[in-house]
Amino acid sequence: MKMTKIYEGAHQWVMFGRDENKPDNIIDSNQYIVRTANKCLLLEPGGTELFAPMMAAVLHHAPVEQITDLFASHQDPDVISSLGLWDQALSNAKLHAPALWEGYIRHFGCESIEYVPIPDNGETIKIESVELQIIPAHYLHSPCGFHVYDPVAKILMSGSVGSAFEAAGAPVFVDRFDVHVEKMRYYHQRMMPSNQAKRAWIDKVRNLDIDILAPQHGRMFKGDDVKRFLDWFDSLQVGTGV
Amino acid sequence: MNSQTKSQFIAVASITSELSAVMVVAKEISLAAANAKAIAFRAGDKAKGFQPITDFINELAKETIELVTNINVYALLLYRLTVNEYRRTAAYNRFELVGKLAVGAQYADSMQEPITHARTIMQDCQRQFKRDVTQLLGQLEAVMHHARAARVIAANSRIEASQAGEYLQSLQAVAESVDKAAHTIHDNVQRCRIALSIYRNS
Ligand SMILES: [Fe+2]
Repeated sequence: MKMTKIYEGAHQWVMFGRDENKPDNIIDSNQYIVRTANKCLLLEPGGTELFAPMMAAVLHHAPVEQITDLFASHQDPDVISSLGLWDQALSNAKLHAPALWEGYIRHFGCESIEYVPIPDNGETIKIESVELQIIPAHYLHSPCGFHVYDPVAKILMSGSVGSAFEAAGAPVFVDRFDVHVEKMRYYHQRMMPSNQAKRAWIDKVRNLDIDILAPQHGRMFKGDDVKRFLDWFDSLQVGTGV
Repeated sequence: MNSQTKSQFIAVASITSELSAVMVVAKEISLAAANAKAIAFRAGDKAKGFQPITDFINELAKETIELVTNINVYALLLYRLTVNEYRRTAAYNRFELVGKLAVGAQYADSMQEPITHARTIMQDCQRQFKRDVTQLLGQLEAVMHHARAARVIAANSRIEASQAGEYLQSLQAVAESVDKAAHTIHDNVQRCRIALSIYRNS
């Protein structure tokens, strides 16, 4: 599992991905952690297959007992089907996930972990002194989904938005935006159902100060590429499956 | 899923299916008993010896149905236990893998506690499963016992029927159907026991 530190301040952000031992037929995904002095938040913990390499990778940054919080942007298996395993490994943890999906996500196994439902209009979660804004991203692509914005690190973990499918071992940051666009187009057009929802999200996100846009699949966007992405997404017609 | 877990799932699932067949047959016996009672009543003195037998058959059928109902509840618990054991074993195996993959990681040692904990829970599940299987085998033995008793009664019924004059045929048919039903119950329960016996406490 490749680890990339993407923010280093009083707290840290680390991106995990490009797992070289992943079976070929499951899609590659990015996981993130927010590490504070005594706690660790795991964003998009990933699928069952990914549990062992992911847990092993996290152990480079935090001991098991300090993994106190998990976040799932939506209900899909590549995001959170590992829950049943985290549930047996962590003795004192919370899962922050959409309220709407609680009855669904619990199918993955959630007995010892506390499910903290996120209301439709989002909220703020605190990991020690770090405040994270949970921003609604409904219908992008899930009918109920959320992104995580850290105003100090200026990172937006954007779940499915900005995702692309890459060859194994691809770099973690977009280097040529015009080339990268082609890896995103079909996914966004086919997976995102609503132009109206897209518009509402862009209006909200344009007001945030973002250095890194970090999606769940593919590469992250840095600096000017963040604005390029928002402009591109703004002009894209989505919901093309019908 | 490894082949041992697979066969454990199959063994537990087969109990429910074998027992639902036993239930049908036990209800047949109960019906045969009611039928026999009516015939014996009409036969009057000629079937005097047959009357207490019909009550006995009916009792036996009722008890078998009750036993099987209890066993079914138990089998469901056993199924849940199997699911849980599967889940616990899968987790334990993954945790061990984490231990291997994390060699050299700064906090690798912190995985020891979850690994030990998972192993304990998994072993508890395995022990509980063995205990429950042993108990279930005991309950199945009780059903077999009933089936054997029913066959003895069926044999007696035949003798009594032979003295029932014109009712001979219908009473013999009753004895025949009880015997057949008892035979089926015996076979089905025996299959359950064989499937489970490898998991019992040794
Ligand atoms: Fe998804």
